[in-house]
Amino acid sequence: MKVVPSRSSEWVKPVASQKPASAIIEIDRVSQVFQTSARKDHLALSDISLTIEEGAFVSILGPSGCGKSTLLYIVGGFVSPTSGAARIKGQAITGPGPDRGPVFQEFALFPWKTVLGNVMYGPRQQGVRASEADALSRSLIEMVGLKGYENFYPKELSGGMKQRVALARTLAYHPEVLLMDEPFGALDAHTRTRLQNDLLNIWERDRKTVLFVTHSVDEAVFLSDKVVMMSKSPGRIRQVIDIDLPRPRRRSELLLDPRYQKYVVDIERMFDESDEAGSAT
Amino acid sequence: MISPTALTRRAAPVLACIGLLAVWQVASLVLKNDSFPTAIEAIRAVPDILGDKEALINILASLRRMAMGFGVAVLFSIPLGLLMGRSRAVAAFFNPLLMVIYPVPKAALMPIIMLWLGVGDVTKTLVIFLGVSLPVIYHSFEGAKAVEEKMLWSGAAMGLSPLQRLVRIVLPAALPEILTGCRTGLVLALITMITSEMIARQSGAGNILFNALDMGQYDTVFAMIIIVGAMGICLDAIFERIRARLVRWSEPQFDMPLSFS
Ligand SMILES: Nc1ncnc2c1ncn2[C@@H]1O[C@H](COP(=O)(O)OP(=O)(O)OP(=O)(O)O)[C@@H](O)[C@H]1O
Ligand SMILES: [Mg+2]
Repeated sequence: MKVVPSRSSEWVKPVASQKPASAIIEIDRVSQVFQTSARKDHLALSDISLTIEEGAFVSILGPSGCGKSTLLYIVGGFVSPTSGAARIKGQAITGPGPDRGPVFQEFALFPWKTVLGNVMYGPRQQGVRASEADALSRSLIEMVGLKGYENFYPKELSGGMKQRVALARTLAYHPEVLLMDEPFGALDAHTRTRLQNDLLNIWERDRKTVLFVTHSVDEAVFLSDKVVMMSKSPGRIRQVIDIDLPRPRRRSELLLDPRYQKYVVDIERMFDESDEAGSAT
Repeated sequence: MISPTALTRRAAPVLACIGLLAVWQVASLVLKNDSFPTAIEAIRAVPDILGDKEALINILASLRRMAMGFGVAVLFSIPLGLLMGRSRAVAAFFNPLLMVIYPVPKAALMPIIMLWLGVGDVTKTLVIFLGVSLPVIYHSFEGAKAVEEKMLWSGAAMGLSPLQRLVRIVLPAALPEILTGCRTGLVLALITMITSEMIARQSGAGNILFNALDMGQYDTVFAMIIIVGAMGICLDAIFERIRARLVRWSEPQFDMPLSFS
């Protein structure tokens, strides 16, 4: 072991910039072909390459059916791409693992478990003691605004509530990378804003890498360091936009910030243009 | 406090039984046939049978075989059905086999089994086992097939191994369907139990019934039918209780009215 020179303490910088920006996830020329029931090959993803830096918040934005979920499944290791490869920390992704936590569009809660049972499932599986897992889960349930619903079964919850349980369940086992598929899609505007803020707080505290699928341009700009714009049939990356807005972000300030407004308007315009280009052909 | 609707719901099975017995009573009084005793005569013969030590031992032996056959069938069929539901290879191997066995009346196999294994407990238990297995396998299979993929993915992301996913996700998720199969299996166990004792007459409830028939003791015959029927109703009711408790999380919240008039 090398002795660290005493001088090194002068180099210490704030946490965020101390980390070298190293790639945690690399998506390398990934294509996905689906065999449809009509026996026709359907190219869902075409030649996608994307690098995601450790600790980055990256949103994927695109029209319905452009392959956003499919891309997330490939990074999650649930689907292996027809061609190309995805890597995490330089290692080829061959299957799911607790380092990548998915929050599915369909929630996929365990219906035979209560809210608490669902959230505790991951930590328990990871060998966390029952009392500890219980305390952790209760605080997460409170955070997503479901205090008092600990003993409810999923069938007794509304769609938005299920979505929040799914989020808490994934956060509970501390994955390094969060793979979130429209996690706030079914929420009312108020809860959505609150959870966006909570997610940003968690992210600022833990600096997890987040891959976040959404339909909403506002949401993507508000949350992300990078917005990946996709286009449809075949699913391609149209453009990757760096969102250069200061953090921590406050919604009330950001909405008034002309730079934020410009990002939103620019991105919306780009989608409109692609619609026109699409309808012209 | 019991609401009127709840009261009707609870009283309904009892009323149905009383109604059935009343129809029986009237029918036998009208027909005046020696081989068709009245309901009251048959009911009077019930305590005689249950008071007889020999008969009681026979009935208990029947129940033991039934429990054995049912238990082993369930323990064997659930894992097989679940595996078939989650693995195409396993399903491809067993499906044709089961399709051949399915339509064969299990009692029809008894003469052969008797030839090989004798007329004792083993043969009868085996026939019960065969009768129960198929519906349980089928329902476990269907239940496992229907498990939402994303649920298994969630489990895999938490680090569950394939075997753990089968036991801790597929099994509970398919439980409502599995228990439906078990309920059918339970009734089939009772039916095959009596049938097996009818073919291999040696002991058991079926044996008492058919001996009485041979001797023209029609009161006893009908009393035995009542006893076996009551046994079936009780077993089914107990099972239904357990089932409802185990899958409370899956029961629908609202009744679906057939019309919204
Ligand atoms: N298992 C599958 N078999 C066949 N085709 C599929 C399959 N899964 C997805 N597809 C097709 O791939 C394309 C992309 O699907 P995907 O679910 O990734 O879209 P998405 O961008 O997530 O859409 P949304 O925003 O509506 O969720 C769609 O055209 C869909 O029909
Ligand atoms: Mg999707």
